[in-house]
Amino acid sequence: MKKILVFTQIREEKVEENALGLINKLLEVFKDAEITAALFGQQLKDDWIQELGKHGVKKVYAIEAPELEVYLSRPYVKTMLEIIKEIQPIMVIASGMVYGEDLIPRLAVHHGVSCAQRVVDFTLDGEDILFHTPVRDDQAMIVSKIKGEIKFATSRTGAFFINENPTGGSPEIASIDISFNPEDMIVSHVEIKEAERTVNLKDAKVIVAGGRGVGGKDNFQIIREIAELLGGEIGATRACTDVHWIEETYEIGQTGQSVSPDLYIGAGISGAPQHMSGIKAKTVIAINTDEGAPIFNYADYGIVGDMHAILPILKKKLEG
Amino acid sequence: MKIVVFIQQIVSTQVKLQGVDYFDTSRVSEDDLVINPSGKNAIEGALKLKDGHGAEVTAVCVRGLKPEKALREAIAMGCDNAIAVKDDSFYTDDPLLLAEIYVKILEKIGEYDLVFLGVEEQSTSSFAVAAMLAEKLNLPSVLYAEEIEVKDDVLRVGHVLEGGRKIVDMPKKGLISCSDSQHFTPRYTSMRGILTAKRAEIPTWTATDLGLAANDVGKEATSLIQVSLSNIVIEKESYIIKEGEPEEMVDKLLAKMKEDEVKLGA
Ligand SMILES: Cc1cc2nc3c(=O)[nH]c(=O)nc-3n(C[C@H](O)[C@H](O)[C@H](O)COP(=O)(O)OP(=O)(O)OC[C@H]3O[C@@H](n4cnc5c(N)ncnc54)[C@H](O)[C@@H]3O)c2cc1C
Repeated sequence: MKKILVFTQIREEKVEENALGLINKLLEVFKDAEITAALFGQQLKDDWIQELGKHGVKKVYAIEAPELEVYLSRPYVKTMLEIIKEIQPIMVIASGMVYGEDLIPRLAVHHGVSCAQRVVDFTLDGEDILFHTPVRDDQAMIVSKIKGEIKFATSRTGAFFINENPTGGSPEIASIDISFNPEDMIVSHVEIKEAERTVNLKDAKVIVAGGRGVGGKDNFQIIREIAELLGGEIGATRACTDVHWIEETYEIGQTGQSVSPDLYIGAGISGAPQHMSGIKAKTVIAINTDEGAPIFNYADYGIVGDMHAILPILKKKLEG
Repeated sequence: MKIVVFIQQIVSTQVKLQGVDYFDTSRVSEDDLVINPSGKNAIEGALKLKDGHGAEVTAVCVRGLKPEKALREAIAMGCDNAIAVKDDSFYTDDPLLLAEIYVKILEKIGEYDLVFLGVEEQSTSSFAVAAMLAEKLNLPSVLYAEEIEVKDDVLRVGHVLEGGRKIVDMPKKGLISCSDSQHFTPRYTSMRGILTAKRAEIPTWTATDLGLAANDVGKEATSLIQVSLSNIVIEKESYIIKEGEPEEMVDKLLAKMKEDEVKLGA
């Protein structure tokens, strides 16, 4: 049976959702393939492995080692290469989280081939797998195929949906013998600075979010006021939390919080996929000076204009 | 410390390309040819190290119609040297082939400590080049960097991570890809920089100079075959107000939302 190897990770003590969404999509498209997952760490919980099984994974390479406690390119590449050698999959894929995007191109290099990146769809053309990737700030779509026995790819975060009623069973657990040398650990882990999560945006019905266009810490006040008027919460892009215009907890997106409000208003936000992938809103309103900003692709309503002029008026109207 | 920065020249994403223009960008105005934004972050990363600790920074541009233009801007920002690498045979839409060209460039440059790249080449959304290059050269590497601090014998690098930021130590010989964090916000060019840039000699290297045969890194060599490229048409129906005084636009928005019975508020 054809095998697809999926690199998976744990986030906040759970199997990362993008990986589960990806697995769901793979099962849908590759009906005759068997999904094998790779999950590395120092202490892996059985719950995680069972969760993968429930979502349709038949076999999990659950590899434990102190060197694999956190992701580092070399030890992870080394371990993945061993698994690939053992199972000879038709495809090796990871969701496009930071680690997945670090890992997959490296594995491809070891097999002398290129890789497809940030894929939002897979289709089949006879024996060929077609990879669909949006480019140029989502202005165009490239469809490509990859030569070689093993295809390497990453999927875009937020592209695929999780199966809400998975019915899979307990997966087979596999291991391999692997050892590491000092050269493998040449880049060394110091610490992970976790963003302090003081506000949970998950249940917010309205989110008013600001981006780099806000222009400064004080300018977030108007965002706050409008959020308050609408009975909602505020949100921000990483560009804003990085410069401490606003607390880290408000970051929305791949590396921030995931939100699903009825209404999301984005002001001064370009609409990078890493930000938008965290948002599943019923209605999106965008305010941006640049008519070509990708956020307008996601918007139900939009104003091409200066947020510093628009927002105070909007506030007045809402009060009035 | 010797730093090599790889930048690319792209058609500004402000310009909407249509169909054939993706492949034949020669009709694009020179004003619209810009350094890929992410590449500018990489230049800034290298220049910060130069400012704080002294370094010789060489900018290299492979992709683009007028690499000299991009490189003059790199020099104006503060890079010491620039090299344009151009050859009609290059197929640079494949990150693996681009990485192969970079390997040859670094071989010809010879001595270097650090290699800087941007996280992404916006025109093809390729983020893979940095990882591929690091792997090919077996260089210690950190991708998606957001900050760099020089310690005694290591670089302490913070990089983007889901849920926060990860800090790692890496040797002072290695590869870093730079995100668009504050630390890498590109500086403006100075008047003096612009003058230096004007006078700068920018050599052009071709495939032959790099010891590459045309079919080594040409379209025939790619393993990533483009089957089609099409503009994305947004099927979603949306109501975008593009003109008017601010007050007029807000009124229009609110009226339309009312008409659609979309509630503004929780
Ligand atoms: C691995 C990785 C993970 C990431 N994860 C996340 C994430 O989870 N969340 C996240 O947000 N980002 C994330 N990022 C960063 C992301 O790629 C973008 O850089 C970021 O989202 C950009 O933020 P922005 O839209 O605020 O800024 P920009 O992209 O700089 O856009 C600013 C926008 O404001 C507009 N503007 C300027 N002035 C005005 C004005 N006066 N009025 C109206 N509009 C104006 C501009 O036209 C522009 O479109 C991640 C990056 C990487 C590499």
